[in-house]
Amino acid sequence: MTLKECYTALGGDYDEVMGRLRSERLVQKFVLKFLNDGSYQLLCDSLAAGDREEAFRAAHTIKGVCANLAFNTLLESAEALTEALRDGKPPEAGEEALVARVKEDYRRTRQAIEAFQEGAGG
Amino acid sequence: MKNKTTRLLTISLIGVALLCVCVFSFLAIHMSAQSAKTINEVGTLYMSTMSRQTSIHFDSIITLRMDQLDVLVGTVPADKVHTDQDARDELIKDGRSRDFDCLAFYKTDGTFEMLYGSELTLSDPEPFLDSLRKGENKVTVGINAEGEKVVLLGVPSSHSSAEEYPCAGLVAGLPVSYISEHLSLDENNDRVYSFIIRRDGSFVLRTADAYGNSYFERARTLYDNVSGMTPDQYIEALSGAMEREENYTTEVTMKDGERYHLYCTSLPYSEWHLITFMPYGSVDAIVSSFGREWGSLTILSGLIVLSALLLVFFKYFGITRQQLREVENARAAAEEARKEAEHANRAKSEFLSNMSHDIRTPMNAIVGMTAIATANIDDTQQVKHCLKKITLSSKHLLGLINDVLDMSKIESGKMTLNPDQVSLREVVDGIVSICQPQVRAKRQQFDVFIHDISTENVICDSVRLNQVLINLLSNAIKFTPEGGEIRMALYEEPSPRGDSYVRIHVQVKDTGIGMSEEFQKHIFDSFAREDSARVHRTEGTGLGMAITKFIVVDAMGGTIDVNSRQGRGTEFNVTLDLEKAEVMEEDMILPNWDMLVVDDDRQLCESTASALRSIGVNAEWTLDGESAVEMVVKRHHRGDDYEIILLDWKLPGIDGIATARRIRQELGDTVPILLISAYDWGEIEHDAKAAGITGFISKPLFRSTLFNSLRQFAGIEAAPEAPEVVADKGRDLTGKRILLAEDNELNWEIASELLSAEGLELEWAENGEICVKKFQQSPAGFYDAILMDIRMPVMGGYEATQVIRTLERPDRDLPIIAMTADAFAEDVRRSLECGMNAHVAKPIDVQEVMRLLEKYIK
Repeated sequence: MTLKECYTALGGDYDEVMGRLRSERLVQKFVLKFLNDGSYQLLCDSLAAGDREEAFRAAHTIKGVCANLAFNTLLESAEALTEALRDGKPPEAGEEALVARVKEDYRRTRQAIEAFQEGAGG
Repeated sequence: MKNKTTRLLTISLIGVALLCVCVFSFLAIHMSAQSAKTINEVGTLYMSTMSRQTSIHFDSIITLRMDQLDVLVGTVPADKVHTDQDARDELIKDGRSRDFDCLAFYKTDGTFEMLYGSELTLSDPEPFLDSLRKGENKVTVGINAEGEKVVLLGVPSSHSSAEEYPCAGLVAGLPVSYISEHLSLDENNDRVYSFIIRRDGSFVLRTADAYGNSYFERARTLYDNVSGMTPDQYIEALSGAMEREENYTTEVTMKDGERYHLYCTSLPYSEWHLITFMPYGSVDAIVSSFGREWGSLTILSGLIVLSALLLVFFKYFGITRQQLREVENARAAAEEARKEAEHANRAKSEFLSNMSHDIRTPMNAIVGMTAIATANIDDTQQVKHCLKKITLSSKHLLGLINDVLDMSKIESGKMTLNPDQVSLREVVDGIVSICQPQVRAKRQQFDVFIHDISTENVICDSVRLNQVLINLLSNAIKFTPEGGEIRMALYEEPSPRGDSYVRIHVQVKDTGIGMSEEFQKHIFDSFAREDSARVHRTEGTGLGMAITKFIVVDAMGGTIDVNSRQGRGTEFNVTLDLEKAEVMEEDMILPNWDMLVVDDDRQLCESTASALRSIGVNAEWTLDGESAVEMVVKRHHRGDDYEIILLDWKLPGIDGIATARRIRQELGDTVPILLISAYDWGEIEHDAKAAGITGFISKPLFRSTLFNSLRQFAGIEAAPEAPEVVADKGRDLTGKRILLAEDNELNWEIASELLSAEGLELEWAENGEICVKKFQQSPAGFYDAILMDIRMPVMGGYEATQVIRTLERPDRDLPIIAMTADAFAEDVRRSLECGMNAHVAKPIDVQEVMRLLEKYIK
């Protein structure tokens, strides 16, 4: 599996990230590092603990990382969740769905990267 | 309700008033009856007392005189009277000394033997003689020789006379006036008078004004009635009372209406009766004056109570009416509020139903097209078509949602402007290119006119300005049928706000369906959409104009007017006072050319010519193709060709392309001919090139548009688009030390990797607090700039910036650039407010970051 295929699988924009980082080596490095990023775990933990402020920040960070890496699918779902959590808003109907979408997209992204990792011989 | 209350009040008022009148009348009548009774009682009391006094007085006078007479009788021995002249003389002397008018012996045969005084005759001798014989004293009345009445007192005595008849008693006479004076019968008060009568009614004594001999006669003639009795009945009753020696009292009403109290009592020593009269008036005057006072007091109190009642009534009436009015008003207000609420509610429901319809339409398209695309996933052509439709619908949907969001921002007061330097030319150019596809689709004629705009760069929120203009234009396009005409014009004039401002007029005019007068009043209300069959098909949220009005009037302080007639078209006029931007405008000077402008619009010709003159070009203009060809040919023959010709595409008579062709035939290829058009010229490019058109110049024709399009023909190099970047290209930021506050390691690594490649040295701060600490611990001037994430744990970017800006350090104003995934206008504004120099959005754009760093690092 090439890096480009990996991007297609996780719903990202390979051309965009290449435009930004300019070298496939760098992209690959950061994509693999994404697996170690703690923001997703923080989001899940904060939501479970009911700490909406912390959850907002975590979602916001995921959004920032995804933007940098052009993980557009996860970016969109993280962005939607960020807005739902912004300014300490009370929970609204549909928030569950947003969380579920982020989890699903994250799972897909992670799967794709892990598949790529194996394919890359790592 | 009002009438009912009024009627109740009126009825109770009348009732109470009547009750008052009754009570007070009863009081008055009762009092007057009571006073009559009182007068009677008082009169009777007074009369009886007075009569008794008179009677006692009479008694004492008579007794006194009788005693004197007794003494006289005693002084003379009974047997010597006739013989003893001395005794007679003594008797006469004593009698005279006691003021007796006359003195005589009364003999049993009823004759007098006069001692002195004139001869006497008795009017009623029998009872007198009887009494004397019985040895009783007696009083009677006699008449003397002069015919005067004399009161005679008789005392029995046994004086025997020489004659055959023995003496019955000694009689002494007193004048009647003596009795009446001593009894004060007619003078103790001028109204009270008395009579002394005998039982048969004949007068013994009477007052001067009385006449006749009999009281009974007088009563018959003068009295009208006596306590309800006729005079005859009264006389009978009186005679009976006198017979029984009883006192008698009654009331007499004379024929002349006067009323008297009457009191009758018998007098001692006589057959006489004293009758006293007192006019009713004497007592009555006192009592009735009291009664009158009572009466007037009663009436007065009645009036006072009545007026108090009236006052209370009218006050109450007034209050009631006011309350009624208030209730009425409150009801009306409530009704008004209810209607308003209903209206708002209806507007909201209508809006919701419209919105859900409007949202469902593009959503259906998206869903439907997605389904079709999925079904035909291998048919690239089909999928492309679907995607195009989906894109269109999505954009429409996005527009709707943006409108709703804007409106909710406006309603919650959260819409703010982000003023920045704006080029009007760029704004108008942008709008024209946005509107062109729609205009073309409806085959409408669209034109933009720029009239003498000298200030192209102003301070304004370009996004909002764009929104306003696009809204006005898209409405014009939407409500103008195919083939209609849409014009947008911009004017400039001095602003009343001062020299640093300029007033810009924007006019958008169409020949569309127009609006009813009624709707024009509500056009700027939220959720307004004219509800008629002809508009029903047109989509929109009904929020556009409300948003437009808010931006123009409330946020930018301008004005917006609408002028529309149904079936004729609509005209919107917007005026805005905008601050002039302080930019060094390029020195726009072209060579001293001769140019020809050909356009069918006189205004456009004049304003373009004037704009050209202001950049050093001599411009002539004409309105149609034929005259243009003539002018060109004339100059050509003079050997003084125009340097450049500007030609409108759509001209009356021969059009722009035909004109160009003819000019080319005359002149050859030397003179550049530029086609003016507000349209995308892609579609006519082929024809135009074939006809010999050198190039295009697109409307709107700002001064800078003309300059930039024409200078290539003058051999002036195009100015670099972004002078800063170009100028700083050579500037080396290598070795500059940047502190990057970023809580996420991955993001930090990416930024670090990318920026290090540009030669920068980066240091990482994991959150705002660490960032502040690192900055504090560094020597002054150690860091050249800070890149600051906004959302960080422990301390966020806004806070950290504020702390850094207030530190006591010479380099506390070093450049701080926000770097965040939030790219809302509010976030940008807030970062600037916190003291940051600039803002870049994630994902990181190295070019942009470098440009900003170059700009701010000194």
